[in-house]
Amino acid sequence: MIQELCARAPKECRIEIVFRPAEDGSANNEARALLEQYATQPSLGCGRAIASKLQSVTTRRSGLGLLFLAKVRSQDGSHSLVISRFPADQGVVAQEVAGELDVEFLERVFMKNAKAYKSVVYESTSPTARFEEGRAIDRQLSGPRELSQYWIGDFLASELRTTGPFGSRRLATAIRKAVNETRNRALKSDLIAASQLLRNQHGTVRSATQFLQRLGVSDDAIAAVRRAFTRPELMDERFEFHAREFGQHLRHRMVELSNGAMLMAEDRVFDDVFDSQPAVAENHVRYSTVGAVVDQRYRMRK
Amino acid sequence: MTRDHLAVYQARFPALERVANNLTNLLQDHLAGVPRIDRVSSRAKCRHRFAAKADKVNPDGTPRYEDPLTQIQDQVGARIIVLYKSDVDQVATVLAQYFRPIEWQDHVPESPWEFGYFGRHWIFALPEDVIPSDVDKQLVPRFFELQVKTLFQHAWSEASHDLAYKPPEELSSDQQRRFAYTAAQAWGADRVFAELWDELGGTDPEASSI
Repeated sequence: MIQELCARAPKECRIEIVFRPAEDGSANNEARALLEQYATQPSLGCGRAIASKLQSVTTRRSGLGLLFLAKVRSQDGSHSLVISRFPADQGVVAQEVAGELDVEFLERVFMKNAKAYKSVVYESTSPTARFEEGRAIDRQLSGPRELSQYWIGDFLASELRTTGPFGSRRLATAIRKAVNETRNRALKSDLIAASQLLRNQHGTVRSATQFLQRLGVSDDAIAAVRRAFTRPELMDERFEFHAREFGQHLRHRMVELSNGAMLMAEDRVFDDVFDSQPAVAENHVRYSTVGAVVDQRYRMRK
Repeated sequence: MTRDHLAVYQARFPALERVANNLTNLLQDHLAGVPRIDRVSSRAKCRHRFAAKADKVNPDGTPRYEDPLTQIQDQVGARIIVLYKSDVDQVATVLAQYFRPIEWQDHVPESPWEFGYFGRHWIFALPEDVIPSDVDKQLVPRFFELQVKTLFQHAWSEASHDLAYKPPEELSSDQQRRFAYTAAQAWGADRVFAELWDELGGTDPEASSI
């Protein structure tokens, strides 16, 4: 099982993480030091230190766990370290020893589910090269916040490689580009609606694909956003959503006038597409715009 | 360093130049609206400097880099030049939002009696957005170096670099003292501008921004 786990890890672990630097700016990081020490000279003591660190940050909800540490040496000379944690159950073992019944309370032996686990893999090109970054996975049904805080943030003292503002801005830019480039009105509406709903996702950690899928965005619309990314695979990179940053780069301005008129356009071009002039009456303004009608719809309003 | 390393670096160099170009655009985009930025630039480390760095050894004579292609982190480097010292912190605040640091360092001479190189350096995770879609990601380093300096810090380091680091023979005491004197002048100019900036309210409406 461990062999399979190690073989799967390089492809399966796709959440890119980097070690958090020390407050003085140096690359000193307690978790990094422990993992590098184990990778260089695996020992029970070092393994125990890693387990203790994991235990110290494990949440009550996560409970007991089985920890596996595996150092892997590839034929090309590269080295990797795979760490996996499986949730475990408590148990009792009874053995007859010298006519007495020896009852031992075991806490770490029963794996609950071999398919639900957390893993991380660190790779380096040589035995002495430092681990600069890692890739993780969480195959337990835990919430998205737990992913970064308990496994990645606390145990591995790491951060997601992509910052929240960067990922949010990247997604906003891609949606805007997809909206501007498509002539499909339904797809355009789908993405504009999604961009409004996304603002409620502040603090959630997911990939762009997952965010859009969760909002029920059509496959065609998701494909359009994917095409708008510089590299399509970045759609699957996880980040913590920042509503404010997202809104700054994908914001629509709507102006409602006292006569019932409503004007809407992307905020950054609103003043370009609508010309406004003060009108004769006090506090009144005259808006004008010129363009071909490409869509017209009616909406019921309560 | 082996010939293989250098050959691989040479082969990847055109891709790194494109990455550096995209990185400049990305940084400019993220810093849009931040005042008093004189310039933003990026470069791929030239072949000769890569070779020189890859050949460096530790005090015990062992190679500093076992695998220079992955361990040398400034194969792609960027530089942001700002007008005043307080602008360095302003830029740092913006960068911290968008880029994930691996480490950073304020470069200052070791002794308070010395003058020399000043500047703030970061090693950041390289956002894959700057890698053109037709470039194999494996050819591109995972990190880049970013330096933020004032105009005077930059001027001193550029002007002194070729003179101080490539002399045919070791610098004399007098030459070292004269280098330190120019560094002190640049440090003093930065200091005076920072004081003037504070005294005059620090809200120049004509301040340049990228």
